[in-house]
Amino acid sequence: MATESDGEEETATATGKLTGSPQLSVDDDLREMAKKAAWSVSSCKPGNGVLSLRDENLDTYWQSDGAQPHLVNIQFQKKVKLQLVVLYVDFKLDESYTPSKISIRAGDGFHNLKEIKTVELVKPVGWVHISLSGNDPRETFIHTFMLQIAVLSNHLNGRDTHIRQIKIYGPRPNPVPLQPFHFTSKEFITYSVLR
Amino acid sequence: METLMVDRVQSSLRLLMYSNAIFLCERLCAEFPSELNLQLLATCYLLNNQAYCAYQILKGTKMPQSRYLFAVSCFRMNLLHEAEAALCPVNEPNAEACNLSTMYFEVPNGAAGHYLLGLIYRFTGRRAYAIDHFTQALAIDPLLWAAYEELCALGAVEESNEYFNDVYAQRIQQQHLSDSSSHNSSTGSEYCSLPPSAAVNSVDSVPRQSKQFLANSTREISTLQQGVVFAKVQTTNSGTSNLSQFNTPSPAATQLSGVAPPPLCRNAQVFLNAASSDGSMKSNLNLAVQAPRRKFMDEGKLRKVSGRLFSDSGPRRSTRLSAEASIIANSNAPQVGGNGSNHSAKFLGGLSSSSSAKANLASSRSLTFKKGQSWIAESFEEGRRPEIFDDSRTENMATTSSSISMSADGRCLEQGKATGDLAHDSRLMSGTQELLGLLRIFGEGYRLSCLYRCQEALEVYLKLSQKQFNTGWVLSQVGRAHFELVDYFEADHFFELARRVSPCTLEGMDTYSTVLYHLKEEMKLSYLAQELISVDRLSPQACPRPNWCVLPMPMYQHMVHRYVPKRKKEKRKEEEEVKEESVEEDGVQRVRKNKVVEEQEEAVEEEEEAYQMFVAHSGWREVGGSQWHTYKEEGTWAMGRSNWTARNGGGPCVYLSKDWYVTLEDFENGIKCYQSALQADDRHYNSWYGLGVVYLRQEKFEFAEHHLRRAYNINPRSSVLMCYLGMALHSLKRNQEALEIMEQAISADKQNPLPVYQKANILVSLERYDEALKELDQLSESAPHESSIYALMGKIYKRLEMHEKAMFYFGLALDLKPPAADVATIKAAMEKLYLPDEMDDNL
Repeated sequence: MATESDGEEETATATGKLTGSPQLSVDDDLREMAKKAAWSVSSCKPGNGVLSLRDENLDTYWQSDGAQPHLVNIQFQKKVKLQLVVLYVDFKLDESYTPSKISIRAGDGFHNLKEIKTVELVKPVGWVHISLSGNDPRETFIHTFMLQIAVLSNHLNGRDTHIRQIKIYGPRPNPVPLQPFHFTSKEFITYSVLR
Repeated sequence: METLMVDRVQSSLRLLMYSNAIFLCERLCAEFPSELNLQLLATCYLLNNQAYCAYQILKGTKMPQSRYLFAVSCFRMNLLHEAEAALCPVNEPNAEACNLSTMYFEVPNGAAGHYLLGLIYRFTGRRAYAIDHFTQALAIDPLLWAAYEELCALGAVEESNEYFNDVYAQRIQQQHLSDSSSHNSSTGSEYCSLPPSAAVNSVDSVPRQSKQFLANSTREISTLQQGVVFAKVQTTNSGTSNLSQFNTPSPAATQLSGVAPPPLCRNAQVFLNAASSDGSMKSNLNLAVQAPRRKFMDEGKLRKVSGRLFSDSGPRRSTRLSAEASIIANSNAPQVGGNGSNHSAKFLGGLSSSSSAKANLASSRSLTFKKGQSWIAESFEEGRRPEIFDDSRTENMATTSSSISMSADGRCLEQGKATGDLAHDSRLMSGTQELLGLLRIFGEGYRLSCLYRCQEALEVYLKLSQKQFNTGWVLSQVGRAHFELVDYFEADHFFELARRVSPCTLEGMDTYSTVLYHLKEEMKLSYLAQELISVDRLSPQACPRPNWCVLPMPMYQHMVHRYVPKRKKEKRKEEEEVKEESVEEDGVQRVRKNKVVEEQEEAVEEEEEAYQMFVAHSGWREVGGSQWHTYKEEGTWAMGRSNWTARNGGGPCVYLSKDWYVTLEDFENGIKCYQSALQADDRHYNSWYGLGVVYLRQEKFEFAEHHLRRAYNINPRSSVLMCYLGMALHSLKRNQEALEIMEQAISADKQNPLPVYQKANILVSLERYDEALKELDQLSESAPHESSIYALMGKIYKRLEMHEKAMFYFGLALDLKPPAADVATIKAAMEKLYLPDEMDDNL
């Protein structure tokens, strides 16, 4: 039942109720994954390049400079498990530059990207959390080499887009390497690492 | 005037009024710019933690004492090469004050010099030299614990019996005497040397060594020279240049009152009596210092230091140390007394109330003072060479002084006898032996724990008396041993005791915080961090050792968690600038500054503070401009700066950052950090282990095996290390070896469930399912809340195509709430239970 209701919420938000929240709230068992990834964008205005997406600064932004859809590509060094994408957008500041429809695609490379999620944003201000999980527990994570975030349209039919931050989360790795399962009991964890 | 100033400086130092001392000493140096005065000034600066000033003053000086002080200031300033050069110059230019013994003065200050040199070599990575010098330091001063500690840390101690042996007892006794005599000669007051040494069993029955140094110079008898010559120590008659300054006349009474330090209250009375009765006698130099000290390092440092040094450094340490709970209850109480011969005699008499005192009144000899002579003979009959008097100038002795000293002698003897001082020699002997015995236990325990033979170390520590055991040092050592044995509960217990005994001791607290981290005692950890920070704040410069570090990773994490706000620093800097501008514009605006701004300001300050404290206390030095990095990862904040380097860092100091890097999966930086940690201390097995784990994660199994094996060789009793080594071997498909080492790990620590689990894992890969199941079954008895056991069992049953059982165990595993990632895999496995093994690579 729980998963079902979760799913309902997700579909509800996926149909256009995402508005963003002032706090970046992420579960403790997730961590930011994309530090080591290669980031690229389809186009950008000079001075508002791809670096602005990752500078931890909410005052700077990436601005596209070309035809839609505007793409952000994130390529990982190896296959990774991903669960959550978080964007920071601000309708109050960016107005017609604010994305309204975003598609998230995954695949091994540019040649075989598949859409896994489409969301609509309504005048969002703050962090927009986009879960990548499917309804099936087996689909909690997507296992992929590459992620593409496509801005399909903007508010007020704006042409170019502004995104201020993007973060990508996946599950934490097992603290003990090479283990099929995490340890859960105190006895095991006590002995599992040295400090 | 000079003497008066010197005395005032010294008394200021004794009373810890360093700035006053510095001021006076600067005047002194301006008036009388001799090197000795400069030394005094440098000492003032060093005590006041202004090594850079001392460095400036002493640069280019030649006397051994100056060179030693210079080396100390260089060392404190991290100028290791200069310090080394100062300690061992190419040519030994000084023939003046260091002709006591070539052996002692190759390196200034003997044992202390060697110790310092050893430290320098250690920090510059020359292990063999370091060991050599520490050994020499120990050979010169068998009680130099600090050198022994370093030797242990370098892993160079085979048997602690080699050190702290009874053989040294004689040596130590001689040393006491030679100390005093050399000390006397270096102050240039060799006219009437009274080098008594005494063994004291003090009231609290703590074995204690008390030394007395008496330096006397009397103007009237300045022509008299008497040297006390011992085995290796030849007192020379060459009039040293330093003499003059001690010989300027000044009223005895003033000096006495000025000099008598607080701990000498008892004796001061006697002093004054003596002064009044012998008022006609002009004694110029009155140095009386009682410095009960515990640390042998101090002893070493002070050895052969000139009388002035004694008088200033001794009491300072004593007060500092006495504030702490006695960790090593062996206290040495050297007494430096320099005054007219008659005064010293009385002084001795007064002292004898607390100690058995032996006086060798040189002047008495020429007077054929029978009692005195017999007494002297007594005191030196055992194991010591009788003093050889330098008679060359005795005939010059003024009759007045001799008569006075005679009377003084008589008084001294009366008092000495009145307090019932007998058999002091045997007491001295037994005292030294007792002390050595005690140190042997400590040495053995410390050596064993450095070799990570913790169980044995614990047994050794248990041999200590209750009094000794219940001290901060021992308790935290015991805690550390338990920590190494992965017995965190016991470790916690002992660290808690240690904190109760000495709440302000910071040593070992890094280990404690790690223990708490392991136990997931967040509250306690927070509390500890807060407390330690408050202790730190009270004494921001209380860290003489540059590699001192109390804020290890978990604690640091806590601190940062508390202090580091979420926004970037640069941005806040700008805000600050804006704010400053507005303040400049008009004061009114400042008052109206809204609350948000204030909060931000506070946050900036707090972050700065956290950072400053971190830098100050971890011994990290920043090199080059760098940026702040804040990460919100793993549910906590980490803060790091790029381009950091740790100079002089002991292992833990570098170690703390690397755990961050590794949890952040920044392996490159992690490896760098581990490597620099190992550069600082290649016996830091945690770093070898850390490197091994990083390589394991990167699937560079050969490297992993190598590094884990290094760790294992350092700490061959750790079941955790064995377990990891087994895992590396397993990954290398050397399963037989892996199984063997797992067996070894299982027998090494019955409490550790991990090797059993890993063994089962290996058995699974060898397709020996039944054995694996048996192991896991047993394991689930001892650790019933471990979901991974059930998951693994489910996986085995799935392989065996026993679907019912597999389902059952997968269900159990899920019930124990594994993390989401595991839930996903287990659920996937359950759904595909009846499908052929296509998901095997997943599981």
